[in-house]
Order: sequence, then structure tokens, then C-alpha cells
Amino acid sequence: MTSQEIQDTLKSKFGDAVLESKLDAQQPWIKIATNKAKSIGFFLRDEPSLQFDFMSCLSGVDYNDGSLGIVYHLYSMVHKHKIVLKASCTKDNPHIQSVSDVWGTANWHEREAFDMFGIYFDEHPDLRRILCPDDYPGFPLRKDFKVPEFYNGMKVPY
Amino acid sequence: MGLLDYKFESSNVFITSLENLLNWARLSSLFQMQFGLACCAIEMMAASASNFDIMRFGVIPRATPRQTDVMIVAGTVTLKMASRIKRLYDQMAEPRYVISMGSCSNCGGPYWEHGYHVLKGVDRVIPVDVYVPGCPPRPEALLEGIMKLQEKVRKESMSKKAHKA
Amino acid sequence: MLTEFGKILIFLILGAVFVAGGLIASWILRPNRPYPEKLRPYECGEEPVGNAWVRFNIRFYVIALIFLIFDVEVVFLFPWALVFRQLGLFAFVEMGVFLLILIVGFAYVWVKGDLDWDKPKPVIPQVNRPMKLVQQTPQEASV
Repeated sequence: MTSQEIQDTLKSKFGDAVLESKLDAQQPWIKIATNKAKSIGFFLRDEPSLQFDFMSCLSGVDYNDGSLGIVYHLYSMVHKHKIVLKASCTKDNPHIQSVSDVWGTANWHEREAFDMFGIYFDEHPDLRRILCPDDYPGFPLRKDFKVPEFYNGMKVPY
Repeated sequence: MGLLDYKFESSNVFITSLENLLNWARLSSLFQMQFGLACCAIEMMAASASNFDIMRFGVIPRATPRQTDVMIVAGTVTLKMASRIKRLYDQMAEPRYVISMGSCSNCGGPYWEHGYHVLKGVDRVIPVDVYVPGCPPRPEALLEGIMKLQEKVRKESMSKKAHKA
Repeated sequence: MLTEFGKILIFLILGAVFVAGGLIASWILRPNRPYPEKLRPYECGEEPVGNAWVRFNIRFYVIALIFLIFDVEVVFLFPWALVFRQLGLFAFVEMGVFLLILIVGFAYVWVKGDLDWDKPKPVIPQVNRPMKLVQQTPQEASV
């Protein structure tokens, strides 16, 4: 299926949740509303013509204009097509619905996005920091992050 | 209770020959607590394998700090790991030494400028005896580091009141 | 000029001297600088949490008990084997009766399952989606 067909199938089910898209990019992406992420995920996984059963990656982004985002890379083992989904939220209210019920690998990827960017995933079974220590101040990969001077008595900068 | 530990001011002939024997025994059997954290661990494994063979120096890997003499910190030390390294170093028994292997544990390595979670050099938490430079150091460099540590152990004095930093 | 027991006494004294000599030499030579962080229990670098005593599987006790009984039986077999030739058929039948009684006990223990070791039961995780969708691609289904 081409990405245009994928977008049409998605739009026919969730008309208003599909916000914008760029299908002639090297990796065609579709932007979705953040509060419908789980139902869109279930539809993409279970629909026989789409069957996106493998989530290759889930990454966090800081767009440097006051908004954070998530990028999902999906692949179908059966039909061998792929698509990229994007969802975004503001820095003041960084909440996105979790898709860890849909694809099991999203559990750890969402924990990493939370650890690095501070994006809170609603309905995530176990949202806590995965790479940095639990009492680390701040979210490191945000653009406005300052390296702390001392952490637990150790000097952090060089 | 160490009877002769740190008691004498100057050396005498009996204690000196005993010290030589003791130092020779200690440097020939430095049991290592392998602390392979990142890529330098592969080079440490290569040094333990057959081509470079660290075991001919008497260096045998032990998993627990209680039975080891030297801790070879090989790899990037994150802030999360640094508290564990401090605790494990505390749990080693004297005489204990530390070899810092690779740039990451010497000075932070390639992460010195932007690393937000990297400890810039393991000597910020534990005292280091030998630094082995390289990214990663070749196994021969690690062997030379161990030989330098052996030279340091040869000159140690068990009973003189030494100033151990 | 020494009795047999005297030779064993020499043996025992030398053994004690070896062990004590090693311990005393190391007590003289080793450094001893304890401080609280060094004396904490080892837990791979983390703060030690919880009790150091763990619960054992009761099966170890059962196996040890059964082993002890049959080990004592073997101990009885040794002196019997030494004088077997002189005593002849009577000793053979008597030992056979002894062994028979113990074999009955052995068979009971075996059948009751005290000699089995627990095998782990693998738990197959349940996935919450229909697996049959991915078994066949549409091309394969149409062939």
C-alpha cells in the first residue's frame, strides 16, 4: 500500500484526528492528534489491510518553539510497508496518550522519551526514568537544559 | 590486627627482606575486579584472551571486591554508576589499587564537553594509581599499565609510616 | 620407639602448627583498617536492602536425610566385606535380609516422589492480539 492509501484508510476511520501530512518526503509522515494515539494505534495494528504489527522506533523531539513531539516509525511485517506518525504537545502541558498496550516495545521507548524530554504518557503502566538516575534534576535532551553543577557531591562539568 | 602495619619510622634489614618478599608475592598475583563498563571492556577481554594473556602476570578476574587487589575501571563512568563504584572501592580490602583504563575513565573522554551524565574521570570518586590512555587502549597498553602498577607495588613499604593519599 | 598412637599425635601436632603458623603470620603481616563502609554487606555496589538470610527449598533437607540413611547402610557394608570370606553363606544371607529391608524403604521413598526434583514450569506469556493474522501474507493465502 502506498502512503496515500494508508492516509486515506486512516482518514476514513478517524477523520478529524489526522491533522496534516507530508507524503512526498523521504519518509512520509502523518500527524495525528495526541489524545487519539492509542485508538489509532489499535486500528493500524489490527486492520487487515494495514497490519502495522512492528513499531520500529519511538523518538522524542524538542522543536525549539515551545512544543515537544513524538515520532512513531511503524512497519508491517505482512504487507512490508511503513509509515511515520507524528504527535506533538506543548511544553506547558506535555501529555500524550501511551501506546504501550498496542505495541509492547513502546513501554521502554516511552520511558526513554519521558526521561530525556519530560513527556508524560497517560495510561503508561510504569512511567519512570530509565537511563538517568531517579533524582536527576531536569530533562537532559530539551534545548533549554543546563548541566547541573554538582550531582550528589560529584562535579559534573569538566 | 596488623601488628607491623604502619609502625616503623625507618627500615631495618629484617623488615626490608620481608617487605621484598611480600611485595613480590603481591605484585605477582594481583587479582583484578574487572569493571568493564563500555568499549574498553572489549579490549580488557582481548587482553585476557590468549593472544595477550593477562593471566601470565598473575591477574585473575574475580567477581567480588572482597577477594581482589586491583580494580580496572574500563569504560565510561556515568553518574549513576559512580556511587556504586565508590561503594565497591570501599568494600575492597587493603592493599588495593585502581587502574583507570581508557579516556572515559581518565578524564571523561569524548564526552568531556557535552556529557550531562558522564563523570569526567573516575578519579573524582576514587583514588587512581595508574592511568592507561587510549580510546580504547590496545591490550598491550593495558599490560604496560599493569606492569607499571607492579613497579609501584615493588616499592611499597608495609610497615613504614607512609603518606598514602 | 614411638607407639602408633604417638605417631598420630605427632601428625596432629604438626597439622595444628601448620594452620596456626599461617594464621599468625598473616595476622602479623596484613593491614587491618576497617571502617563502616568497608564492613557493609556486599550487594553489587547498591545499598544493601533486606535480610541476608534466604529461604531454602525444603527438598534439600529431604534429599540429605535420605542420603544419610543410605550412607550409614554403606558404612555397615564395609566391615562386613572385610570378614565376608570367613563367615560364608550365613553372612551373605544375613546381609541380604538387611539390604532387603532397606530396599523396601528405598522403593517407598522413590514411589512417593521424594527423590524427584522440581522442574521449572515455563509460563508462556499471553499476547492480546490475534496471532493468526500474521501467519499468512495475502500472497501466500491466494496461492
